[in-house]
This record gives sequence, structure tokens and C-alpha cells, in this order.
Amino acid sequence: MIVPIIFAFTAGLLVILSRQVNGRLSLSTSPLISSFWNHIVGFIFLSLVGLVIGGLIPPNIGEIPWWVFFGGPIGVIFVAAGSWLITRIGAINSTLLVISGQMVSGVLFDWARGIPVTLWASALGIVLIIAGMALTQRKR
Amino acid sequence: MSMPTAQRPKPLHLVLAFGSGVLLTFAVFINAEAGRYGGALFSSWLAHGTGTIAAILFLAVLWRHQRVEAAASEARIGKAPLWAYLGGIVGAATVMLTSTSVNTPLALAGTLALGLAGQVLLSLAADFWGLLGLPKRRLDLRDAGAVILIVAGSLLIILFGLNAA
Repeated sequence: MIVPIIFAFTAGLLVILSRQVNGRLSLSTSPLISSFWNHIVGFIFLSLVGLVIGGLIPPNIGEIPWWVFFGGPIGVIFVAAGSWLITRIGAINSTLLVISGQMVSGVLFDWARGIPVTLWASALGIVLIIAGMALTQRKR
Repeated sequence: MSMPTAQRPKPLHLVLAFGSGVLLTFAVFINAEAGRYGGALFSSWLAHGTGTIAAILFLAVLWRHQRVEAAASEARIGKAPLWAYLGGIVGAATVMLTSTSVNTPLALAGTLALGLAGQVLLSLAADFWGLLGLPKRRLDLRDAGAVILIVAGSLLIILFGLNAA
């Protein structure tokens, strides 16, 4: 059980590490150019991993719905936004506010799709998150 | 070379950061659907491939503006170190780790909760020490309060709200 725990925790570290690295590149280029490099370098790396492991492309690729091909383009905007943010408001503020958006929209998205959500926990969670977001704002 | 100094978020930053978190919810949902067809490696490969094409299209449309911005950035900060081009490998490795841990007793909820801890701890360290050539930020009581409230709220949602366990 210790290995998956280390994996999951390390994944969290890497999310921030990649935002830092992409943010540094964006300082010398632009957030969008940095996001381009992030995607093409990741694509080349994953292609090589796929070549080694084999069976990368599933035989049923023709049956995949069209909207599945838009996860990547959304990711380009997400990565560019992350670089723009981390170089302006720092790492912890970026992390907290992005997670806030992910959590609140995740609850609403599941709820809208008819997936049962536990109301008290979700509502209390959203209230705490909004209070925390207010605290990140500069004093007036 | 003068690095920018980090500031406290203004409403514009808050809206953009929150909005990118919303985008992330959709990207995760879409990429999970790709994973149902071809597994986690295929899903990440597809997202990086279609993302590369999209980035080229975005850059083609905005090229005039992007070229000016890049030239100004390089004149101000200097060339990026070579390691700054390797963020994509870090991101690709992330997918491998999470897609492994999701399929253990940790499941999605445990993976998300531990990932949240990793994200927050490295972010605090990065601001405190100014890691990897990004601005250093003083952390104060307001930061501590925001961390506690947002982490507590997120854990409530992950562990009890979304029935993801």
C-alpha cells in the first residue's frame, strides 16, 4: 500500500513541478509558446513510451466520439493559463484557486449529470472553499 | 535580468484561475473517456497530440503578437534554460503515476486527496524558497488561512461529497 501512496503524492508534486517549469519557460517566451513546448515534448516522450510498450493505439479508435479529441486543446489553454498565473500570483495562490475551480465545478458537473452527491459535505466544502478564496484577495 | 515579483491575487487572477480549474474538470472528464477506449497511456498521448495541433493553430492565428511578446520576454529575462523545455515530460509522468494509483485500493478519492497534499506542500515550498527561477513570496497568516479553508473544503468534497470512493 505504501507504493500507491507514494505514487499519488508524487503525482501532486509533479503537477506543481510542471507548472513551475512551464512558468519559467513562459517568462522567456510567452504562456502559449510554453504550452506548445509542453505538449509537443510530452507527445514525443509518450510516443517513445508507446513504441517501447506497444499497443498504444486501440483498434476501436474509429468509434471514439468527436468531442474526446477536444481534451488536448482544452489542456493547451489550461497549461498556458497556469504559466500566466504562477508567474504573477505565485505557486500557492495559483494552486489554491485552480483547485477551488476544479472542486466547485466538479460537484456541479456531477450533480448536473445526475450522479448522486452528498449534499451536506459538498455544500459545506464549497462554503469553506469560497471563504478561502476570499482570503487570497489583496486587502483593500 | 529582472524577475517579476509575485503579488496577491486581484479579482482578475481569481476569475482566471478559478476558470482554469473549471476547464480542468472538463479536460479530466474527456481524457477519462479516452482512457475507456485505449487506457491511460493512450489518453495522455492523444491529449498531448491533439494539444500540439491546437497549440500550433492558436500560435498561427496569434503569431504576430506572440512573436513580439516572446522577443520582449527574452530581452528582459534572457534565454530559458534547457530544462524549462522539459515540463511536458513531467506532465506525462504524472499521468502514469495517477493512472497506476487509481487502480489500487486508494481509488480515485485517495489519489485525489494525496495529490492535493503534494500540490499544496510543493507550492508552499516553491513560494517560500523561490524555486526554479520563479518569484519568491512571503507567506503570512492570510495564506495559512486560505490553505486550511480550501484544503478542508476540498477534502470534504473528495472524501464525502462526490461518492468517488
